[in-house]
Amino acid sequence: MSNALPLFRRALIESWRSMIAWTLGIAAALLVYVPLFSSISNTDLQALIANLPEALVETIGYTNIGTGAGYVQSTFFGLIGFALFTIASIAWGAATIAGDEENGTLELTLAHAVSRSQVVLERGLALLVRLLWLGIVAAALILLLNVPAGLDLEVVNVLAATTMLVLLTLSTGSVALAVGAVTGRRGLATAAGAVVAIGGYAANAIANQVDDLEWLHTISPYSWAWGEQPLMDGLDWVGFAELLALTLVALAIGLAVFARRDVDG
Amino acid sequence: MTDAVRTEALVKRFGRTTALRGLDLAVPTGSIFGVIGPNGSGKTTTMRVVLDIVRPTSGRVEVLGTHPRQGGPALRRRIGYLPGELKLESRVRGGDLLTHLARISGGVPQNEITDLADRLHLDLNRQVRTLSKGNKQKLGIVQAFMHRPDLLVLDEPTSGLDPLVQQQVHELLREAAGHGQTVFLSSHVLSEVQNTATEVAILREGRVITVNTVEELRRSAIRRVHVEIADAAAPALHALLISLPGVSNLVEPTPTSATLSLSGDPDSLVKTLAHFRVTELTVEEPDLEQSVLGLYETPLSEAPSETPLSDTAADDE
Repeated sequence: MSNALPLFRRALIESWRSMIAWTLGIAAALLVYVPLFSSISNTDLQALIANLPEALVETIGYTNIGTGAGYVQSTFFGLIGFALFTIASIAWGAATIAGDEENGTLELTLAHAVSRSQVVLERGLALLVRLLWLGIVAAALILLLNVPAGLDLEVVNVLAATTMLVLLTLSTGSVALAVGAVTGRRGLATAAGAVVAIGGYAANAIANQVDDLEWLHTISPYSWAWGEQPLMDGLDWVGFAELLALTLVALAIGLAVFARRDVDG
Repeated sequence: MTDAVRTEALVKRFGRTTALRGLDLAVPTGSIFGVIGPNGSGKTTTMRVVLDIVRPTSGRVEVLGTHPRQGGPALRRRIGYLPGELKLESRVRGGDLLTHLARISGGVPQNEITDLADRLHLDLNRQVRTLSKGNKQKLGIVQAFMHRPDLLVLDEPTSGLDPLVQQQVHELLREAAGHGQTVFLSSHVLSEVQNTATEVAILREGRVITVNTVEELRRSAIRRVHVEIADAAAPALHALLISLPGVSNLVEPTPTSATLSLSGDPDSLVKTLAHFRVTELTVEEPDLEQSVLGLYETPLSEAPSETPLSDTAADDE
């Protein structure tokens, strides 16, 4: 047992500092935003929103901001949490192969009795576990604040939304990991992950606003995750499958090319 | 008798640059085999092909009886590798890093890590990234040796190490060969190869120019000699020196001193000098640049010989 998944365990051990930093960041975001709901839900916020142009409200996703679910979705899952999880995931994904290679430290690992697929898969698993941890922290804090802040969220829906957040950011992190495995370039890997994440966010916003471009929802990972409002209506298995497919396709391409190419010292 | 490493017509291109241009090499099992050559001659690329870190463009390569690609992790378990530019950035302690590498090597005997670390005077409790270049190099050596691999592939193993530790490493190399392990090492320091290797291949521009035994290499090596004598019989000294076999580039800064290049063994020089009262004698160890420069400047088709030094090499000091 002490020899199982050595690269996975190494990856987790090497990243404990950044794990603590991201955990604190996400906890801080939740502790700042969520308690505000109880103070603003009694105000004229609904009236204020109603006076805003409908297109703007839809673009920034504040349609249901008067309810606990709408508020937490708009502020955390759709915005701050999405941003924090995305940045963490893409940074980790780009570092997994490309960062290691650019540091010149990948060569030594590959010179040992490990296959390249094993390196990608064990470290990919470490990426998943890190995001799961951040998801557990987020879900636990939201559930802890649920009653005091008057959010009135259903436990199963909090878990559903957290699952989608983890999977959404796992998919963009996997794109970064895969592009890093293909190119060995950390900058390119980060850019690719960011394009998918930000592009998906922008596509979702445009599709909300322009009727003729509503089809953009179908190619936006952000829409796959949040289109069916999991925090209100529970897990959306179609979106779940789409995000999982993106993750697996990215990793498959990364694995295939990485196994064949030269590695820089 | 099999070869631990064998390449035939090995070619490796990286984009527009060609690192290996038809490399033929045979490293006999159980030998200490050195490759020397200037930067860019293909030493490191050859080793990376052996470890399956880069894949050859064409040609054949066989490592411990199998192709590096087919051999996969099972083959690399039998190889210990020290990269030429060892980068260690981790925050973990040296001992923890070695434990991790032992897990992905497999079969590291109990106490082997601490035994090797003790011999090299390496502190395993320090954070890896805080170690000096020399101590990182020691760590690299420990991880290459610790699982007692059949084949050791060492790219410039003593670079950055002080002379005492270099001796320890040379000792490790000889012990490994004594255990039947094969050592495939590169160096740009001729003395290192001379002290340890049994056979030496000289690389240039991605090809093997010659494979010599160390004895042959020693005979063709060129040393820089400086001698001062107390006697006033200087003209006699110069006349004698210039007539000696293997002496070239004779310079006479003062009537009682001489600086010269010497190829071949120093026997006749020593016996000639024995007639004088010698007050100063320095023999510079031949480094690669000087000693095999002749080989580099000879066209590939010609056999290496005792070519005179070029102007650049004679400029020394």
